Amino acid sequence: MSLERKDDHDHGGWMKSRDLSPVEKGYLTVLIWLDRRLRIVDYLELMEDLYYKANLQMPKSHTEQYNLDNKFWYWYPLYALGSFSTLAYVVAAISGALLGFYYSPSTAAAGAEGELTVAYASITFIMTELNFGYLLRSLHRWSAQVMVAAVFLHMLRVYFTGAYKEPRELNWILGIVLISLTMVFGYTGYLLPWDQLAFWAGQIGVEMSLSIPLAGEWVAQLIFGGFSLSQSTLQRMYILHVFFLPFITTALIAIHIGIVWMQGIAEPH
Amino acid sequence: MAPSDETDEEVRADGTGIVPPDDETPTWGERKTRSQGLSRLTYEYFERSRREDQDMRMESSYVERDVLGFPTWPHEMIRNLAITSFFVGMMIFLSATLPPHIGPPANPSQTPAVILPDWYLYWSFGLLKLGPLNPDLAILGGSKLMADRTYGVLANVVIVGFIAIVPFLNKGSARRPVEQPFWAAVGVFGVVFSFTIAALSVKNLIPMDPNLLFDLTFLVPPVAGFIAYAVLRTMREGYMFELNRRYYRLRPPK
Repeated sequence: MSLERKDDHDHGGWMKSRDLSPVEKGYLTVLIWLDRRLRIVDYLELMEDLYYKANLQMPKSHTEQYNLDNKFWYWYPLYALGSFSTLAYVVAAISGALLGFYYSPSTAAAGAEGELTVAYASITFIMTELNFGYLLRSLHRWSAQVMVAAVFLHMLRVYFTGAYKEPRELNWILGIVLISLTMVFGYTGYLLPWDQLAFWAGQIGVEMSLSIPLAGEWVAQLIFGGFSLSQSTLQRMYILHVFFLPFITTALIAIHIGIVWMQGIAEPH
Repeated sequence: MAPSDETDEEVRADGTGIVPPDDETPTWGERKTRSQGLSRLTYEYFERSRREDQDMRMESSYVERDVLGFPTWPHEMIRNLAITSFFVGMMIFLSATLPPHIGPPANPSQTPAVILPDWYLYWSFGLLKLGPLNPDLAILGGSKLMADRTYGVLANVVIVGFIAIVPFLNKGSARRPVEQPFWAAVGVFGVVFSFTIAALSVKNLIPMDPNLLFDLTFLVPPVAGFIAYAVLRTMREGYMFELNRRYYRLRPPK
């Protein structure tokens, strides 16, 4: 008795019985090797399913089936807002990653003048000297604005079409978490240029966290790195903006969309 | 054992009798894990839900209200993919034509006249300015129970918390605003309030008496909500008539 694992389904024998060209043989060998380890077949089935569903005649939507078009066709453009905000998120992620190549979160004095900080100087560099830098920053900023706007409108659409009801309560709460994270994203990003607006918005943030009963000072130190704005504030905002929030938000968006996929789109009845 | 066993036929273990077929008979180990604790409960519940699915399929009393959702793929995704490049193009157009402005550099020794967060935080910023509404207690000699800014942060928490529990307050199968005028009016109230509270937060920029603005902030939203309620209630009559007409045609009222 050999210790070698035997080929239960005799794929080798099957391959020998076929008259295969070297290309086909190589392809099948790789496919079988991968499939025995990763069970690709299951995923192929999924792909097949998607392919056929997209190419078949689409089943009638709820609206068409019950001839309700005249009742609420006007809701329909609003059903794209969720995907619109995801799209804006992706654009912001790409342009943000590129901006990260040129930005440095430092409040140290830049150059001999001693007036400007390194963070502010890097923004100025991006906007004035870097090729297409202004477009990059502009794209990041606009996609962020568009994402926030789309997320708000998405919430209103879900509210007014009653799409948060019975099977979807969890996703509604997840959406509240996501909209809050979006606003925190916006806030931390707003602070990064370290201009007057950023500085004083940061000041408000410190005061808000200090006003929380009992835990206020602890929160201010954890998030803003002290009771007044400094290098550690900017650095923490930067790490929140480019490290913590992206991971958390991306994961939650994936879950949010996954749940929508599992439960289906709620159409108004 | 008992004599009755001998009179009965042989025990059928092929799946046709009450005894499960041999190859599906659980081992003693399996029986033990199934009869204990949470795993047992999980097993029982899954059996029940599978049974429920089966029953629903058998009954197949498929009425309009039973449609809980429509498939994301392909219906929604095809539409979304089709407008993707349009939306991205729109964002690129916006950013090419309207690049952002760079403000003056941070200067801790000079407080600007107007301090504002980005526009989407105006509502939250406005809630921090609710000082005049912070109740004071006569027992404490007119001093306030909590600091004004703590009150503002609490107002934020309360509003977000209320929005989060909406699905647990508004139940039932009504979906459209006309079917639920009250909750639609609550929504209109909320939307209008978010605008008025945002206006309150930028009161330095609005040419109006601050006291009047403060009063309007809290007067306008209920009025808007009330109007929405009245309009939707009026619409509901005609709307329900349209919806029921088919039904009445089938079975006219006596």
